[in-house]
Amino acid sequence: MTVKGGGPLGEERMREIAAGALKAKADAVHVLIFHSWGGLTRFASSQIHQNTWREDLEIRVMAVADGARIGVAATHSLDPAAVAKATEDALAVARVSPPNPEFPGLAPPASAPAKSGFDAATASTSPAERADYVARALAEFQADMTGAGYVESVADEVLVTNSLGLSMFGATTHAGLSVMAMTGDSSGVAEIIEPRLSAIDPVAIAQRAVSKADRGRNPQPIDAGRYTVVLEPAASSTLMQFMGYLGFGAKAFLEERSFMSGKIGERLCSDLITIVDDPLGAESLGLPFDFEGTPAQRVTLIDRGTARDVVWDRTTAQKVKRDSTGHGLPPPNSSGPFPLNLRMEPGSSSLDELIASTERGLLITRFHYSNVVNEKEAVLTGMTRDGTFLIENGTLKHGVNNLRYTQNAIEALSNVEGVGDSTEISSELFFGGSRAPALKIHDFNFSSATTH
Amino acid sequence: MGAPIGYPTRMDTFLRELTERALDVARSAGATYADARYLAEEWESVDAQDQIVQSVDRGVTAGIGIRVIADGAWGFAGTARLEAGDVEAAARLAVEIARSSVPLLKSPVRLAEEPVVDTTWTSPVIEDPFAVSLEEKIALLLDSTKRMQEVAGLSIAEASMDLWRRTSFLATTDGSRIEQTITQSGAGIRALAINDHEVQQRSYPNSFRGHYANRGFEHIRAMELPSNAARIASEAVELLSAPECPSIDTTLVLDAPQLALQVHESIGHPIELDRVLGMEAAYAGTSFLTPGDRGRVRYGSDQITITADATIEGALGSFGYDDEGVAAQSDVVIENGIFKKFISSRETAPEIGEERSNGTMRASGWDVIPLIRMTNINLMPGSSSLDEMISTTDDGIFMSTNQSWSIDDKRVNFQFGTEIAWEIKNGSLGRMLRNPNYAGKTVDFWSSCDAVGGPEEWGVWGTPNCGKGQPGQTARVAHGTAPARFRGVRVGVHG
Repeated sequence: MTVKGGGPLGEERMREIAAGALKAKADAVHVLIFHSWGGLTRFASSQIHQNTWREDLEIRVMAVADGARIGVAATHSLDPAAVAKATEDALAVARVSPPNPEFPGLAPPASAPAKSGFDAATASTSPAERADYVARALAEFQADMTGAGYVESVADEVLVTNSLGLSMFGATTHAGLSVMAMTGDSSGVAEIIEPRLSAIDPVAIAQRAVSKADRGRNPQPIDAGRYTVVLEPAASSTLMQFMGYLGFGAKAFLEERSFMSGKIGERLCSDLITIVDDPLGAESLGLPFDFEGTPAQRVTLIDRGTARDVVWDRTTAQKVKRDSTGHGLPPPNSSGPFPLNLRMEPGSSSLDELIASTERGLLITRFHYSNVVNEKEAVLTGMTRDGTFLIENGTLKHGVNNLRYTQNAIEALSNVEGVGDSTEISSELFFGGSRAPALKIHDFNFSSATTH
Repeated sequence: MGAPIGYPTRMDTFLRELTERALDVARSAGATYADARYLAEEWESVDAQDQIVQSVDRGVTAGIGIRVIADGAWGFAGTARLEAGDVEAAARLAVEIARSSVPLLKSPVRLAEEPVVDTTWTSPVIEDPFAVSLEEKIALLLDSTKRMQEVAGLSIAEASMDLWRRTSFLATTDGSRIEQTITQSGAGIRALAINDHEVQQRSYPNSFRGHYANRGFEHIRAMELPSNAARIASEAVELLSAPECPSIDTTLVLDAPQLALQVHESIGHPIELDRVLGMEAAYAGTSFLTPGDRGRVRYGSDQITITADATIEGALGSFGYDDEGVAAQSDVVIENGIFKKFISSRETAPEIGEERSNGTMRASGWDVIPLIRMTNINLMPGSSSLDEMISTTDDGIFMSTNQSWSIDDKRVNFQFGTEIAWEIKNGSLGRMLRNPNYAGKTVDFWSSCDAVGGPEEWGVWGTPNCGKGQPGQTARVAHGTAPARFRGVRVGVHG
């Protein structure tokens, strides 16, 4: 027998829940409801060792008093009394908070672009189905290899509504599979994240991971220094995600903390690089509206190397008398708008061609534990892991020990010689997913090496 | 009877019975072991910037997480829906999840024995932080940002405060019943100075939103945030024109807050037994340590003694019992440089021949499983002092307040950046240096330590943002440290 867990609340039910909060005796009320359910099956040492499922919901109420006094309170209970308590608390906070001169008011009613991102089969994936993905992946392993990774299937529903009459509802699903293959002295990883679990081929992902681990056996030490690198999509994503965190939001831009500050219209990097934030793209996992209730827009951040724009929410847009691009985070938000659906546009070279055109360099599968060295110049540091190879005369020669990079991300994107012709969504330790192609970059700086 | 409303700070009969009902249902469905954990976490967070309140956020999240062993495998389900039928369904689902793992199970889970307890535990609070008026909290933060803004050349002044109260009830099929209430408070201020090329920041009392402890509002009052505002703002502005940290090998003196994160990354994580056994291999990584290293491997110089102590009163990583019902303990992890012991769980301890877990399993919420987490991992005090370390250094650098951290997946190669540094020349502090950082390898680095500050300079620094696991969890841990000195360290790594 299969036990049913979770399941949609649906727009109507969520609107009923919000209705109580919207009646509050405040100048204005904004309500966000999140509902999420799904399972995550982890495996290590080639067995499932952590196998989990959860269902959460949050009702987040923002109340406005005296025009610009703001208070926010949240509950994770559907009980009408709990929602009423959160509403009372939000109003009580608003009444004692100083007016916020930067408050832009609530979003007016609007229609979000149509987007269907919900897959019922993914939303109702059973534990046995997730376990089957693990089994099919591990079946590809060589006898001396062990496997680790995860399979995830998650569904989300979001309602944004306010007392001006705004109401937007969206439902999405996503599924992920990461497979890491390990030998005694090497490892290889491959990951895929898609809106539908059925789009994931565990055999293909496992074969990629196994191939990397096999080719990486007997890794050789290598000196730190500047190398031509071919970054696989996961590694490209890390650079882009940190750029998003540091500089593609309007708050950092207006505060002149961003590498984009004062650079709009100027050449920033190679004309091979175009970066957009695109919540509306069919391949993105994003909603067609933001958490302030503004319809989402595709924003071109870097267009063929030239800085074009950053993403905006209602507060930052009001400061410069323009419109929000639909990138607001849930209230209360002191961080400003954020690009949650970054995509670097593909180029024209296959990964094999990028490797074949490299006389001497390194193939980087992914980075690990990256962090910021210099915020405004976007200097980052981090490690390579799970598949680092020396390229000589256009072919992979052998695996190498992992290296630490310390590199200006903008400079790296200025040194791009080639861009891969396909993109993948990758997750990074500190962020969600973003979509990027492989990149070939010259003079990428590695500041030290490690022991494995 | 309905689910709890408002901000529960005490368990009631309904919640105890609901939690215990989950155990009964799991057992009936075939679980050979189960624990059910009700958790309600209340929070309040205030952010101010440049004399404007940016956000006030309050709320409570409550739910039940049910963890079972069925047919030798783990399963877990957590739900915020606290009607009896929802909790019962979650308990049955946890058993089904466990059974789905069985075809890939190599060996059944075995738990170390643990005494059954029925008890309550509460962290110390002098002044309930949730009872302090919001007006007072806002005034404190706005005053701090005003004083920072009065410094010429400052670009941005930030102040923040976070309060949490966790009320939990753990019931296990072994028979344990444990109710805990933990109140946590933290606050901090940050000054940013910006020019065309750089952002320079100074924080007080610590970076990343400040200083956190298992204490009440008395912890925040003791920080005297406004009194320190002008000083850190002046330092941030001065940093913009300071010379850059040179790229050299030199003697490095670290202040206690920076050492706290150094301990965290290069000792706290490598001693987690789940990492050592490969359970986190695909995500956070593994460890350079192996079970055979206990009692044999030199981790650092004889100056280095490390404890894992969940019993320090008021420390952010303290508790009465972990989320498996194991009592808080204090263990010596490294003794005079020799590695002795991992931090473990009821599942992992027997795998390396230990009879008992040392009680470090914690879950960040009701919706996730407990993982091995640092408690308070402490570099024990030595006999030196910051003044003595500096006065006996001819040529070196003193670095303060973490700004950046990175370390490899086996916790060997690291690189840390700090907010500020000063040259040490002929036994005295000299010029201020901007963009300081240093890099090294774990055992080499700890082996180069030749002095650690004494008890009078030792304090416990809360780290409220330790990430681990999938789904991701954020744990609140802490590190007791005093300033320390290291020889022959590479500093000034620039891109």
